Amino acid sequence: MVSSSTDTQEVLMEIRNVDKAFGGVKAVDNVSMDLRAGIITTLVGPNGAGKTTLFNLITGELTKDSGTIKWLGQPINRIKPFKAARAGILRTFQDLRLFNEMSVEENVLTSVEANSVPAPMTKSQRTARSEKVEYALNRAGLFSKRNIRAKDLAYAERKFLSMARVMATDARLWLLDEPASGLDPNSYEKFLEILREEVKQGVTVCIIEHNLDIVIGISDRIAFLDRGKLLADDEPQTVLNDPELRAIYFGERT
Amino acid sequence: MEAYLLNLVILISIYSTLAVTLNFIMGYAGIYSLAHAVFFGVGAYAGTFMAMHFNASIFITIPVAMLAGAVLSLILALPALRVRGEYFVAASLGLQVLAVTIFSEWKAVTGGIGGLIGIPPLDILGLEVFKPSQFIFVTVGVLVIVLIIINRLVHSSFGRSLRAIRDSESAAAAFGKNVPLIKTISVVISSALTAVAGVLYASYLSFINVESFMLDTSVLIMAMVIIGGTGTQAGPIVGAALLLILPSIISYLDFLPQTEIGSIQQIIYGLGMALLMIYRPGGIVGRKKQSEAGKE
Repeated sequence: MVSSSTDTQEVLMEIRNVDKAFGGVKAVDNVSMDLRAGIITTLVGPNGAGKTTLFNLITGELTKDSGTIKWLGQPINRIKPFKAARAGILRTFQDLRLFNEMSVEENVLTSVEANSVPAPMTKSQRTARSEKVEYALNRAGLFSKRNIRAKDLAYAERKFLSMARVMATDARLWLLDEPASGLDPNSYEKFLEILREEVKQGVTVCIIEHNLDIVIGISDRIAFLDRGKLLADDEPQTVLNDPELRAIYFGERT
Repeated sequence: MEAYLLNLVILISIYSTLAVTLNFIMGYAGIYSLAHAVFFGVGAYAGTFMAMHFNASIFITIPVAMLAGAVLSLILALPALRVRGEYFVAASLGLQVLAVTIFSEWKAVTGGIGGLIGIPPLDILGLEVFKPSQFIFVTVGVLVIVLIIINRLVHSSFGRSLRAIRDSESAAAAFGKNVPLIKTISVVISSALTAVAGVLYASYLSFINVESFMLDTSVLIMAMVIIGGTGTQAGPIVGAALLLILPSIISYLDFLPQTEIGSIQQIIYGLGMALLMIYRPGGIVGRKKQSEAGKE
């Protein structure tokens, strides 16, 4: 096989032989892969393939049974979610988990403030913080709705708020769990545009996505998971044209 | 009549302080504690102990009471806040039951079941405050200070973290919040401020015993918060005032059989709570059930 063009990118995260079982079910089965800087890696695979579980293992929401994960060359095997966030690894949730009773602006603001105890801020820090919040709200098209409670937003707006929370931060790696699912075509065009722009500015993205149009539209690389096993991790065309993987993806497996 | 009203306002301001401090953890951090009366009691006993054996200056009694409340709350918070919310409720209930036993048995400090009498008045810079007409300024003043402190906290980044944790713990953690630490700090702050109310209460009555710090007090304070409006600023004060005024109003109603006043009061409380939760789950001051905006 010819080596892919993305193989030359710097490795931000190195995942090696990671296992996780729930009872007798192997949710993630000996998965090894790299997340490379400045590109979009898409995790695809049928329901129950272990995609979200892999995110949970990376951020420390769940603990691995075995295997190692390195972030910027350092092992982060027993990391706690809040420390993963502070190290620059942020994630969104499939069910969004917005701060529902808080305003749109507060949702973004609190995501930028990663300290536990209020720390005194200089004026320039304060300005920088407001600029980040404003930037994210504008990008997500929510600036005019910044004072509305998160739970009062429409569905698509809620999805964009979930993105805005991540956009406002300085995180290097975004783990996005089905951020575009259920979006109308207009909204997901806008979503793709945001994502491309942010990646251009240096963010690295790993995204779980089911919609093939979106997968084709954004992926620099595709990792294919099925029943916890990583079946492929390659250029989009290579993965998408593999008849066996297509059969699994479209449920034609016997 | 004037003395009666003064007394009522003093008690309302003390219980408002209790409700406001409970609301801080309940309404903003989503931590439901059934041990709030314990910290009220610890403050009362610690302040009284200092006043009776060392010095009655509020610059001694209040800091010692706050410290005692804070340290005890750490013992509850450190193990209990690492687990899910329901366990904290159970752990706080356990602490409440345990504390009543200690309050009743530790005679050297609490005077046992009989309690403590002859508690010295508040000493503020050499001025002895015991007349209700003076005391009212202290209790209302403390309430205002506590309100200001909590208001500042709630609107700081710390307060945002608390509300974020209440709305989604996992998302708060995913955005870098050290959830157990933030919850612990909030419980410690709440308990220390509660202890101040205890000092005032003991000094005002000049007599305390375990009956003021039992589970029914914890439940009463929680009811004040819920009825007034959890997570609102004015709610706990409205709730405290209502639940303290209600008994007086009922006893003024001549047509009620006076011997059954106690049970009638319970029926009204129960009915009121049930109706409120059905028609106005956010409490009297809280938001209406249906939000107007965002309906699709």
